[in-house]
Amino acid sequence: MIEVDKLSKRFRLTKKQKREMGVDGASPYIWPVKEISFSCRPGRVFTLLGPNGAGKTTTLRLIATMLKPTEGSIKVAGLDTQREPRKVRARIGFLTGTTGLYGRLTPDEIIRYYADLNGIGREAFIKNRQRLFDLLDIHPFAGRRIAKLSTGMRQKVSIARTMIHDPEVVVFDEPTTGLDVITARAIIELIRRCREEGKTVIFSTHIMGEVSLLSDDLAIIHKGRLLYNGSFTDFSAQCQSRTIEDEFIRLVQEA
Amino acid sequence: MKKTAIIFRKELKDTLRDRRTLVVMIVIPLLLFPILMSISTTIMVKQRKEAEVKELKLALIRNDNAAGFLDVLQKHEKIKLITDIPEKAMSDAIREERIDFGLVFAKNFDEVVASRAPGTVRFYLKSSRETDLTARRIRAIMDDFKENLLSARLDEMELDRQVFEVLAIDKHDIVTAKERIGEAIGGLLPYIFVIFCFVGAMYPAIDLAAGEKERGTIETLLASPATRMEIVLGKFGVVFLTGLFSAGMSILGLYIALQQTSGIPEDLLSALIKIIDIKSILMTFSLLIPLCIFFAAILLSISIFAHTFKEAQSIMTPMNILVIVPVFIGLFPGFKLTAVTALIPILNVSLATREIIAGGIKPLLLAEVFLSLMAIAFLSLLFCTRWFRKESVIFRAG
Repeated sequence: MIEVDKLSKRFRLTKKQKREMGVDGASPYIWPVKEISFSCRPGRVFTLLGPNGAGKTTTLRLIATMLKPTEGSIKVAGLDTQREPRKVRARIGFLTGTTGLYGRLTPDEIIRYYADLNGIGREAFIKNRQRLFDLLDIHPFAGRRIAKLSTGMRQKVSIARTMIHDPEVVVFDEPTTGLDVITARAIIELIRRCREEGKTVIFSTHIMGEVSLLSDDLAIIHKGRLLYNGSFTDFSAQCQSRTIEDEFIRLVQEA
Repeated sequence: MKKTAIIFRKELKDTLRDRRTLVVMIVIPLLLFPILMSISTTIMVKQRKEAEVKELKLALIRNDNAAGFLDVLQKHEKIKLITDIPEKAMSDAIREERIDFGLVFAKNFDEVVASRAPGTVRFYLKSSRETDLTARRIRAIMDDFKENLLSARLDEMELDRQVFEVLAIDKHDIVTAKERIGEAIGGLLPYIFVIFCFVGAMYPAIDLAAGEKERGTIETLLASPATRMEIVLGKFGVVFLTGLFSAGMSILGLYIALQQTSGIPEDLLSALIKIIDIKSILMTFSLLIPLCIFFAAILLSISIFAHTFKEAQSIMTPMNILVIVPVFIGLFPGFKLTAVTALIPILNVSLATREIIAGGIKPLLLAEVFLSLMAIAFLSLLFCTRWFRKESVIFRAG
């Protein structure tokens, strides 16, 4: 379960950053996320949809405790992210489309590293490793260095690394960005599997196809504010445009 | 701290698999001195041998004087006498390398010498380091000739040579060979290991922070249960260790170079080996540890700030100068370790090492250097850990 309540985040910009980002005004601050509230429930996929620069990544980084909220609060699995960030992180799996791996290590070493960081016991590690390596077919290249692996193989290792501690909440930040169709499909399958296993899943995207393919719940974010928050079924039902994509564009343009 | 150890182990393994780091950390410091010393001594020995066997072309104008000089010349080998070059042409002949030296005895040379005054000889040469060795041979000839003339004059005057020896100095120089060499080259040693300490820590520092950002692995690490403090300490430990190891390798390389290189004069070699004794090494390393902490923390802070590997490298490379300058200042003879200079980082290590090698460092000053370095090391590490907690640094836009 993720509960986001009146969440805001403020960043201070340098003059150079303001110029480059085209931010007007005398204030050195920007609010990439402003007073947003939503909740993600276990066994459901929550999609955070928005154009580039809408505040998706900032929101997910706040949930994963990489950033601290300026205002508002977040609870993950009942734990406050500001009070107990370490415990929150132990319950989260985090994956992005641009996630890299350590080129000089092997898949086995990387999985072991993240398992150790998450403090999982030997027995749980052996069991989880076996399950993930079987599922993702990692065994044939488990001892080869990451630098020698294909993009698809690397993405499988990224998935295994994210899931090795069997997190109850999984955060995907634009997980298919830059991936080929086959690898992207593996990620989609992973998200579905997480839902089936009763995990809380939140993923951000700007790809409409993924929204209709996976979403149970949907939030549309633009310039740091939520334009829609509800179930995907309701969104489709109250759609005023011809397609979901048109509706999304209409909402963004009207905002 | 368990997570710090996990991160440290992983980063160390990752770093030790990086060829570039291994080359900078082990290969260069270990091989640089053996190679440099081997090349320089080989060239020196070769030049000396060539100078000894080279046929000297000596242009001579006697003006019918100094007949004894020809007798002296005959006693020396490999001298080619040229008598057809006029004095006006001698300078050009030397420049064009047709001759090595020119000697012109004054027209009244014999007459002046007979009157017990000094006879004039004009000596043409082109002094350079290269001709120094050959010039020694011509000077030996001149000394022989001078000795002959002086002996003849003393005999003629029926004087004993001892009449001119009015002072018998019995010199007792209390400076030991170790002190003398420590003073002369002691400043060079920190020049070597301080720079290797910095350069050795540089690449791992870049790779472990800016490299992590560039690869996109930083987010997954930050999303793990490890705290920022544990992450930065794990990384810092590896950067510190590589810097220290690199400095250690440079000293080992120097030791190997001294043991392996032939051609170094025996007395100099034994003094040099005495310098690199266990006590001096341990004292020097005690100063290197806080210095390495300081370097590692500063380099890691820069790397954390940088967005990419290239950006970190472009900031750190000019910093080499900031390291070299204080070490270089420490080479000047006028600079001594005092209560004030003991507080200036890097310069204090340079000056203290010189005094450790010379065997005359005052324990209080050594303690001051160590404590001031520990203080700056602690502050820089504190800065580094706080820096790593700053969101604006970690997620700084490119």
